[in-house]
Amino acid sequence: MHQSPRPSLASLEKKAHWLGLLLLASGLHIFEATIPSFGPWFKLGLANIITIIALATIGARAAASLAIARVVIGAFFIGTMFTPTFIISLIATIAATTTMLLAWRFIPHISLIGVSLLAAIAHMCSQFFVVEQFFIQQTALYYLLPPLLVLSCATGWLNGALATYITAQLNIRSR
Amino acid sequence: MHKSEPLNRASMWHWLKGTWVDRSLLLLALIAIAISWQWLQQNLSGTPMVHIYHGKNLLATYPLNTDLPIHFQAQGDIGISEITIDQYGVRISHSSCITQRCVLSGHRHRIGDILACVPNRILVSIQGSQQLPLDAVSE
Repeated sequence: MHQSPRPSLASLEKKAHWLGLLLLASGLHIFEATIPSFGPWFKLGLANIITIIALATIGARAAASLAIARVVIGAFFIGTMFTPTFIISLIATIAATTTMLLAWRFIPHISLIGVSLLAAIAHMCSQFFVVEQFFIQQTALYYLLPPLLVLSCATGWLNGALATYITAQLNIRSR
Repeated sequence: MHKSEPLNRASMWHWLKGTWVDRSLLLLALIAIAISWQWLQQNLSGTPMVHIYHGKNLLATYPLNTDLPIHFQAQGDIGISEITIDQYGVRISHSSCITQRCVLSGHRHRIGDILACVPNRILVSIQGSQQLPLDAVSE
């Protein structure tokens, strides 16, 4: 009988690291759904900190799969699976993660703070676009967008700074 | 193992400042937001009117400032959303959705404000009586 070769220790470590981050991100996603919101469609984006840490520590592909997996797991536990909330959240997360990966790959001298900032803006804009296109279908919605984008800039910047700090601390401890 | 630095004011600034590219991106984003906000504000004038929509359909229009409270029941995709217009403004007082975020949003009273129940596809928008819809402005 053919036996597949054992995975390397480095590969197992990477998988364990990804799983640990996924559990943390899902926990934060669920926690955020339970705390009072600052307004319609506005969240602090705490779970996104974990995606940024994954991007910096285990790579782009792992970060993308982590972001999508935590939205699905989060929706399963919150009870919003396949509802409009889930669809909006999933599309916005895909848009934000794509923006994040492209920025990290192609913008020179950008740090995790800039990446987080662009992801937060992309998340908010895509959320409004999806709601306007598929659910509410009224352009009056966009009157709400500029103030929420200002808040997104603030939270995106702070989340990026926090992710930078945590990544640096993880690097110090693993040396 | 290295000992990590405690977070004092100087090190907080170190973590928060970002690179010059990050700061440029923030500046560009804020300028774009300010311009779009200013542009949207220019189109808000006249007597405040409450418009209630289900998807693309306009269900009802009421003046915001009324002496007697108005209760309107809007039929959405998943049930009824009850909209109340009173002395404090307009609010969604009851909704058939699970999350109840629309109900928790409370009162709105300024021109340009909106309330939305996404699962029920109901939008409540306060517009000026002379206000053009965004599509008409951009054409």
